[in-house]
Parts: sequence; C-alpha cells; structure tokens
Amino acid sequence: MELCDLSAHELSLLLRQRRVSAVEVLESCLQRISQVDGRPGSLEPGAPQPEDAERVHAFITLTAERARAQAETVDRRLAAGEPVGLLAGIPFTVKDIFCVKGTPSTAGSRILANFVAPYTATPVARLEAAGALMLGKVNLDEFTYGSSNESSAFRPTPRNPWKLDRVPGGSSGGSTASVAAGEAPLSLGTDTAGSIRQPAAFCGVVGVKPTYGRVSRYGLIAFGSSLDCPGPIARNVVDAALMLQVIAGPDPHDSTAANLPVPDYLAALEEGVRGLRIGLSPDYFRITFPDAVRGEYDQQPIPGEIEAAVRRAADILADLGAEIVENVPMPNTRYGIPAYFVISRVEAASNLHRYDGVKYGYRTPQPVQDLHEMYRKTRNEGFGLQPKLRILMGMYVSAAQYSAQYYQRALRVRTLIRRDFEQAFDPQGKYRLHALLTPTTPTTAFPVGAVYGDSVLMQYADQLTVPANHAGIPGISIPAGLDHEGLPIGIQFLGPDFSEALLLRIARAFERATEEASWRRARPEVLQRLVA
Amino acid sequence: MTDYEAIIGLETHIQLNTQTKIFCACKADSWYDPPNTNICPVCTGLPGVLPVLNRAAVEKAALLALAMHAEINEVSYFDRKNYFYPDLPKGYQISQYDRPLASGGYMEVPMPATPERPAYVRRVNIIKLHIEEDAGKTKNVNGRRWIDFNRCGVPLVEMVTGPDLRSADEAAQYLIRLRQLLRWLGISEADMEKGHLRCDANVSIRPKGATYFNPKTEIKNVNSIENVRDAIQHEIERQIREVEAGHAIEAWTLEWDEDAGVLRKMRSKETEADYRYFKEPDLLPLRIDAAWKAAILAQRVELPLERRQRFIEAYGLPEYDAEILTGERALSDYFEQAVQAYGGDPKKVSNYLMNDILRMLNESGKSAAELRLTPAYLAEILKLADAGTINTSTAKALLQRVEESGRSPREIVEAEGLAKVSDAEAIRAVCHEVITENPNEVATYRKGKVTLIAWFVGQVMKKMRGKADPTLARQILEELLKGE
Ligand SMILES: [Zn+2]
Repeated sequence: MELCDLSAHELSLLLRQRRVSAVEVLESCLQRISQVDGRPGSLEPGAPQPEDAERVHAFITLTAERARAQAETVDRRLAAGEPVGLLAGIPFTVKDIFCVKGTPSTAGSRILANFVAPYTATPVARLEAAGALMLGKVNLDEFTYGSSNESSAFRPTPRNPWKLDRVPGGSSGGSTASVAAGEAPLSLGTDTAGSIRQPAAFCGVVGVKPTYGRVSRYGLIAFGSSLDCPGPIARNVVDAALMLQVIAGPDPHDSTAANLPVPDYLAALEEGVRGLRIGLSPDYFRITFPDAVRGEYDQQPIPGEIEAAVRRAADILADLGAEIVENVPMPNTRYGIPAYFVISRVEAASNLHRYDGVKYGYRTPQPVQDLHEMYRKTRNEGFGLQPKLRILMGMYVSAAQYSAQYYQRALRVRTLIRRDFEQAFDPQGKYRLHALLTPTTPTTAFPVGAVYGDSVLMQYADQLTVPANHAGIPGISIPAGLDHEGLPIGIQFLGPDFSEALLLRIARAFERATEEASWRRARPEVLQRLVA
Repeated sequence: MTDYEAIIGLETHIQLNTQTKIFCACKADSWYDPPNTNICPVCTGLPGVLPVLNRAAVEKAALLALAMHAEINEVSYFDRKNYFYPDLPKGYQISQYDRPLASGGYMEVPMPATPERPAYVRRVNIIKLHIEEDAGKTKNVNGRRWIDFNRCGVPLVEMVTGPDLRSADEAAQYLIRLRQLLRWLGISEADMEKGHLRCDANVSIRPKGATYFNPKTEIKNVNSIENVRDAIQHEIERQIREVEAGHAIEAWTLEWDEDAGVLRKMRSKETEADYRYFKEPDLLPLRIDAAWKAAILAQRVELPLERRQRFIEAYGLPEYDAEILTGERALSDYFEQAVQAYGGDPKKVSNYLMNDILRMLNESGKSAAELRLTPAYLAEILKLADAGTINTSTAKALLQRVEESGRSPREIVEAEGLAKVSDAEAIRAVCHEVITENPNEVATYRKGKVTLIAWFVGQVMKKMRGKADPTLARQILEELLKGE
C-alpha cells in the first residue's frame, strides 16, 4: 500500500495530523502515474507500441507543477497552523470536458485540441479552493459521446485497470481508471446518461450522479444541457460524500444550478438503513434493445451474476433493517434510450454549432473558396465519428417537419419516466420508497473493440442509468462484487430529487457491511503487476 | 384604372438601454468603444459557458409590452434559434419562440390632418413581442472578414406589427410614435442611425377593398424614419407599376440604397430557413410572478398619447400645444411642474415653453430636465410679471439670465434693479427729457400724427433700460404733449 492507495478521507487525517505532507501525497500519486499510466493520449500517437496494452492511459494532460504549487501552499498553511479547506492536499483528476484556466481543455476532440481555456469551471474552482490538488486532465469519449472511452481523438485511449484488455467504460473512463489505478483518490466526472456511474461500475469505484442542478455546469463543455451533471468519482462512499460536499451548491454563473443550501453529506453517513424502504424493480433486471434486422425490440434478462449481486445487496440491506419492496413497476424504463437518443442529440447538435473554426479550436489548414467551405472542412476534419453521428441525428429529429414526431414526443416520454420515479418515491403512494436499488449496467466491462462501432448497441450500455438523467434525480453506483472473470459489478441506488445524503448513507451502510467480503480484497490487474 | 391600397407590416428590433448585456456582465453599449473590448467568455460563446438572464432587460421589455396593451405572460421561455454565422459565436441565438414574454397588443397611431383628408387614428396590432440577444457585427475589408463581438448579447426586443399599415406615411408615423414611446419609457435610446431601433418593412399591394393578400417584398437595412418612408413609397409605386404592366410580384428581399434613393434586390426569398427552435435548456422558464409583475407595474408611467389628451382636457391646451409639449417626457414633466408652481393660466406657461424654452433647448441641446431654469423659476418669472414687478421684455430676458447663472429670478431682479419703475415722478422726468430733446417729433405729433406716441414711449423705455411701466409712460407722455 502506497500513500496514493489511501482514501481521501484517510489522507486528510494524516495531513491534518502532519504525519504526511501534501507534497508527499502528490509525489506518491505522480509516481503511480509514471508506473502505470503509460504515454498520454495524443492526436498523433503513431504506431501502437507493445506496452500500450499494459498501461492505463488515463491522462491527456498532466499538470504536476500546478499541483505541486498547490501542495506547497497547503503544506505551508498546515505548518503555520492556518485553517485549510475540506480537501486540502488531496489530489484529484478532471475529466477533460471541464475548462480549467491555462490548461488545454480538449473534450477529447481534435476540434478543441489546441483550446486553452481562459477561465475555470465552477466545480474545479471549488475543489481547488478547498485545497485539493489538480493532477491533470483525463481522457474521455469525444465530447463525452460514448460508453467505452474508445471514441476519444486522443490515443491510446484508457484501459480498465482491472483487466487491461477491457474498456474502462465511459464517458468518464479516464476518471474512473485514474481512481481505480490509485493515480488519484478523486476525480471529477460528468454524467449525461450514465457517464459517471457506468465507468464507475466497470472500474470498481464509487460514482455519484447528483440531482440535476445540484452541481454547477459552468465550465462543463456541454453535451445534453438538460441532462449533464458533474459529479464525484472516488474509491469509497465517504470520499464521494466529501467531494460532493465541496462541489455542490448554487452558482451565480449557472441559472439551472439549484438555489438550495447544501446539506452536510457526512453528518448522517453512518446512520444506517433501519426503517428505510428500498425497492427492486423487474424493469431493471432486463434490457430492451432493437434488433437491427427485424426492426423490433428484443428483451433480455441481465446476466444472472449481476442480478444476483443486486439481490445479495438487497439481502444485506434487509439484514441491516431496511425494508425491501419487490416488484416496483418502472414501465417506462424501456423508453429511456430511444427518448435519450432524440433529446440528447438535439441538444448536442446545437451545442456543437459553436465549433466552426472561426474563434478558437481547430480550423482547416486547407485552402477554402468561401466561408461555407471553411465550415465544412473544419468540422469534417475536426470532429470524429461520434460528434458527426450526433449532429446528423440531432439535425434530423429537430427539423421543423420532424420535431413533433421525435423531439416533442421524446420530451413527453421523459415526463413519463419522471412519473415512474415520482410514483415510486411518493411518500403517500403505494411504494413509498426511499430509494430504488438496481444494477448499474447490464454487463461488466466489455473487451476493447468488442462493441465500438455499433453505436446503437453501445448506447444500450446506459439503459439502466439514463432514466435518472431524464428524471433529473440523483443516483450512486458502488462496487458490489466481481463476476466470474473477476470484473467489478456495480449496483446503483436511485432516489428522489436532492436525496444525495440518503443515497450516500445507504451506500455507506452496504459498504461497511461488506468491508470484510472476500471480493473487496481483490486488486486491479494493473496494481497486482506492480506488486509482482 | 384600379385604385390600390398598400399593406404594410413592420418588424422592429429595439435595443434596450440596460447597463449590462442580457446574459453576462459586459457593458451593453459599445457605440464609442473599439471592437472586441466589451466581451467575455459568455458573450463570445466559449466552450462551457452558460447564460444568466439580466432581469433589467426583462423589466424594460415588459414596460414596452404594457405600453402596447399586450398581455405579459406569467411564464415564458427562451429558445435556441440555430444557424451558422461567424458573428453568432454560439451558432445559435437565444431568443423566444412559441411562448414569448407578451402576447397581443396594439398601438394607436394618430395621423395628423393634411389638406387632402382629416386627421384619423390607425390601430396597429402587435403580433409578436419577445426578448432576444443581438449578434455581433461583420465587416468585409479587402476580402477579409472582421468580426466585432461587442454587440453579442446586447438585449433586444423584437416587435412585429400585423399587416395593418396602409401607407408609407402611416409606417413613418408608427415609427415616430414608437421612437417617442421608447424614449418616454426610458427603455431605449431608439436612435435609428445607431441601430438602437432597426426596421424591416413588408410591403404588398391590392385593389382597394380586397380582403386577400398578395405576395409581399421585404425591405431591409433602412436606417432612418425618412428612409423607411421613402423606401416604402418607392416600393408601393414599383409594385403598382409591375401589376399595371401585368407582371406578378415576387417575394424578394430588397435593400434600400440611401445614396441612390433606390431599392436593390438582395435575394429571392428562398424557402423559409429552418432554425430548429427548441427550448433553451441553459435557462429556467422566465416566470414573472405576482411580486415581480407588481414591481414592473409600479414603474409604469402615463403614456404620451394619454398625457396629450389630459393636457387638452385638464389644462384647456390647444391640441397643437399638447402635441408639442408631450413630444418628450421631460418637456411634459417640466410643463406640469411649472403649471403647478405657477398656479395661473396653463396656456401662459405653454406659450413660454413653446416660444422661448423650446428654442433654448434646441440651441443648447439640453433636455428639459437639465435646465438650470427650473419649472419653479419659470413660475416665479411668470408671477413677477403678473404682479407687475417686471414687464414682459424683462421677463423674457430673465429666462436666459437664470439659465446662465442658475440664480433665482427674484434674486437677479433685486440685485440688478430690474424691477419695473412705476414711480410717476421718475418717469415724468425722463418724459420731459425726451420731449425736450426731440422738438421736431413733438411738432409733428402736435400737428396730429398721434401714432408717434409709440415712438415716444419707446424712447422713454430705451432711456430707462426697459424698466418703465409702459402704460404709465404713455399716460404721462400724452399729458405732456397735449399740455404745452
Ligand atoms: Zn460578455
């Protein structure tokens, strides 16, 4: 165990007791990065190198000097007995979809590869203000469009520290990989359809998608503006709570940020689940996906070992005093992906309009006849496949003659999905749930290259996470065991608006109850190799 | 020959005079600033930024809506209007689409009488009134395109009339009344030359009495009310000529060439562009709750045409006076304050304003509110004249003296001895002098040319620097001229 393998909470205690310095913590993380991360993602990676497949490749940009300066400040303050912030001396990585002043803020895209942000995103600014050390910007699917991290223009793309031939998930794959590999105890991710929770599940870490508006989006390069949520990624629930505490809250720069005070997420963390009603829904134990040939929907149960992990978690929570409510109907879950296909792409296409080669970012070096040719060439060369697909579909379904059929209809479906949750959580209703317990993903981490290219199938990886984005409610994914290949299985708790404190508390109860479980002793492949 | 009528609708863009832009804290007015100096990440559309609505822009737009008798919607929405243009940094304009700030509304435009017809009122329906952000400016110089983002995010109201105007004069009157109203409400400088008020005109013609609409043309880029009038008049005449020649009118977009005084075809109107409107997810629905609405209603003021009517009824002013005095809010406020301070005949106050004070304003370029000659001082001068303390010419001279010095009229009168001399002995002495010095005129008078009396009075006044009571001087002169 190195310093970098300790949790933020543990490090914080050691730092405050002055048993370690922030610089020591930082150096430990930097050393881990140099051991396991390999070469950073780049637009011109050249030929694949043999060791590429042995490395995590979480980073695009390492900001070691920025972190060192911050660490020295923290150490000085601690030495002088001055007050420090909640995350003083704790390193973190940032999904490269956030603008951070003075750093390349690339969105994993060629079109923004040379864009150095002149301002800092609110959640990053809050982390730094709390004394946390920004280690760098980590890889992601291009503009967050994906669930495997394979669509990034910066290559090599991240790999799953648990099994290096597997994807880390996405789009916050660089974030979850960096946390799982011990490169940083915390990472800031974003979740539009599951982009925090799905890679957290794949990488065996904790990921929180807060209520829409709980964390400011200012400085987050937008995908689906009505769905995007910044959130914490950590190795345990306490750390996730600490990080959420720092980044949550109203922001004068984001009018959709909730104007509600932030509760103390740590205060009730250990209060257990006695008396809480936690639901299970059959609609989350199967996935529905389109058969491209027949054009019809197929239903498939999720793999038995994933369902078993969820049921085992339910049993543990029941033993701790929770009341498990079976058979909660969530009938509109199946429409989550089709509705998301429409809504997110309309918003994405519009959000991508600004990348036109005029003001910043990539502009075609080729000669052009006129403005429109400049636009076309710039966008054709600058955008990868995933943004192009989203632009095409977004433009199609928002066209005047189709908007009612697609976009307006998808918005109505979104309302129906929200209603499922409202009924399940209604304190006067039939189910009166405090939370819904579900699998996070329909599979564990799939092999690199196995799904990429089938963008429809890839999208269905988000089927169990996207309803929370439609509804705007919070969700948390935590590790709950390993599958037969030793890959992490994630379970998810979903709760009503602004129930983060309760979800963290339930997740923490499960985490404590399984502290001694044998699967918790398993280590990611990349760390096992280090020891060997 | 067929008699035609014109069908005209105007689309105006009104720049609201807020301190800051509509979605960021940059200064809104950049007229005197170099390009790209009032910009920030938000208004230049950097990745990751979000708009935050400026409430002052909403309030100013709402005041306009109230003045248009429109209904303010309790909830309205912002929408994205998507299109590519280099000076539109986000690739979409934040506007309002199907749920705008206000619905309905109308403006009554008084048309003054002309030798051909009596005065009448044209009622113009408002079919669209919404808030949006402005785009930047593009300039082409030597084949290069230069973009100034200063204007990006400046708050605008887009206001569109129904096809209710029937002549170029009506269109011009509508704009004159709109400009007056915008300034009156203090929500826009409404200067067409500076683009604070922009106007596109849709023009078609039809045989008088018909109820159908013919294809229309759109006239763009007209930057003064006079030019709007001229351009529409030209277009009406052109359309009549075309129709008379048996040609169909095509839906063109035309541009007014001010220097040549002609319309040029910009493009054939292609099929309506698809802006792929959808609700702006970065802004909450715009909710004007009861408290906010009450606060806006509290800022509502009497409108120019209402005040004009009241001046006629309450003060017995002629329509002509009322029209001029309510041309500008500060002037009409001045008038009312002066009337109140004075307490005498409002028409007398009006006369001073229409003759002397308006000239003073024109010469100095000041607004009535900026005059050092306050309404209270004007009232004081009127009272001094009424009381016979000063004569009329002194009163008029005093206006300028007060304005120059800022001192009260009474103070000036006392300090400089400007009070009218009513002392019969003093006047008599001067009358003697005048008679002694002008034996020829005395002889002529005595031979019967009594109208010379005015000349004698003038001489006395001249000697007494205008302070003599002219009535008394005349009496004494008549007495002296007769007596000898
Ligand atoms: Zn700005």
